[in-house]
Amino acid sequence: MAPAYALTVRRSRLAAALLILTAWQALASSGLLFRDVVPSLWRIAAALATTLTAPAFYANLRVTAFEFAVAIAIGSMAGVLVGLALGASHFLSRAYERWVHYLAPVPKIIFFPVLLLAFGAGLESKIAMGTISCFFPVAISVAAGVRGVPPVLIRVDRSFRATPWQMATKIYLPAVRAALLNGLHLGFGVAAIGVLLAETKLSKAGIGFLVMDAYHRFDMPGMYALLLLVVFLVAGVNMAVTRISRS
Amino acid sequence: MDATLSVEHVTKRFGMGETAITAVEDVSFDVAEGEFVSLIGPSGCGKSTLFHFIGGLTAEHGGRVAVAGETISGPHPAIGMVFQEESAFPWRNVIDNVGFALELRGMPRAERLERARHYVALVGLQGFERRHPSELSGGMRQRVAIARTLAAQPRILLMDEPFASLDEQTRLLLGEKVTEIQQQLRQTTLLITHSLTEAVQLSDRILVMTFRPGRLRRVVQVDLPRPRNDDILTSPEFGAYVAELWGDLREEASRGLQAAEHAAG
Repeated sequence: MAPAYALTVRRSRLAAALLILTAWQALASSGLLFRDVVPSLWRIAAALATTLTAPAFYANLRVTAFEFAVAIAIGSMAGVLVGLALGASHFLSRAYERWVHYLAPVPKIIFFPVLLLAFGAGLESKIAMGTISCFFPVAISVAAGVRGVPPVLIRVDRSFRATPWQMATKIYLPAVRAALLNGLHLGFGVAAIGVLLAETKLSKAGIGFLVMDAYHRFDMPGMYALLLLVVFLVAGVNMAVTRISRS
Repeated sequence: MDATLSVEHVTKRFGMGETAITAVEDVSFDVAEGEFVSLIGPSGCGKSTLFHFIGGLTAEHGGRVAVAGETISGPHPAIGMVFQEESAFPWRNVIDNVGFALELRGMPRAERLERARHYVALVGLQGFERRHPSELSGGMRQRVAIARTLAAQPRILLMDEPFASLDEQTRLLLGEKVTEIQQQLRQTTLLITHSLTEAVQLSDRILVMTFRPGRLRRVVQVDLPRPRNDDILTSPEFGAYVAELWGDLREEASRGLQAAEHAAG
């Protein structure tokens, strides 16, 4: 891309951001809406500072980060195993793959009551939400990736008498690397959604809980501050995954 | 140790009932230790089918495959296979491709690299150890696959049209390389091919197959001296062998062509 073009892109982006902020501020000071629905930028900035200096924020962030980390660890591992099995076995694929495809687009939050019954209102039910969210895109991507592996490579492996484990780690995994990373990318995203969404329900800790707490106390500047932080955090995780998958 | 490959009464059918196709019918032959035998036939004579079940990759067939008189089932450590399709692992560099079978056996890294390097040099790819298949030509990629199979040091080498996707010059050069290596290692070798010149250039014996159902039509002993250099490749004797084989194959190939046209029409 030509430098001049890149500069124009950046400038128009900045202009749009400024426009949005100005419009917000104008709306806030116009008095058209109830004061707290659209608080002024200054009050949101002040709330952001208060939030970032309060230890409670970090304690809750740790809770959410922990839930997310455990959820993606279990969810993606299960997804990889199931994806490999579905992709490698014609029988398993014919028998069960459509179940995975049917369940994948179902909003997982409707299972949350079941998870609450099974795991209680603590960390575990949130982790379970993240796990089942992460599982589906990973399993589906890996299964499709496995089927894309050239059959001759499998025959080479069989002719060298590879064990099933060697087959999985030395052929399927490297061959499906791109599909796997794509699945993890999607999986991490929906796991974050799952965990945060669960926290906004019956919960006593986590960023999702803080957002709902601010809402219930009608602390709108505080709520907007938290929403901004969530957007930045999720975008940050997303960027990190993209960078890792490119290296 | 004896490395004779025996194929006895091998028959393979695809499908059931009236639509069943007999791909291979009652094929028997031996490849003696250190011998280079080519199996030649028109497309659709069941060459690749035969290749896959000698290698133990196809189940359910009639007949027996034996190494040194011992019946085998499934992939056997004495047999190394080179496939027709491109089969170098695209995510591994040349040296790690060649050392693949040794890695599966758990050979220590240093030893593995040393042996892999030896076979990389044997197929003339020294200097390309760190390259990935995508950076190599088709002929070089096929050499990687051949070196990978040789590095496992199989006593019996099975190759299914390994040069089919290459141009004529590369094919001749690579064929020369392969016989040179085979003579050096005294490996029992069975080459599946549809190329007349390739068969005569490389083989001690040539088995000619019929069009479907694939049966053995004739066995031709190639009494040309080795190494088969340019003088021999251009000699009248060489030409006579090619012509003789073509005489046999012509009939089978035209039957194959008719069947294909019939199927298309």
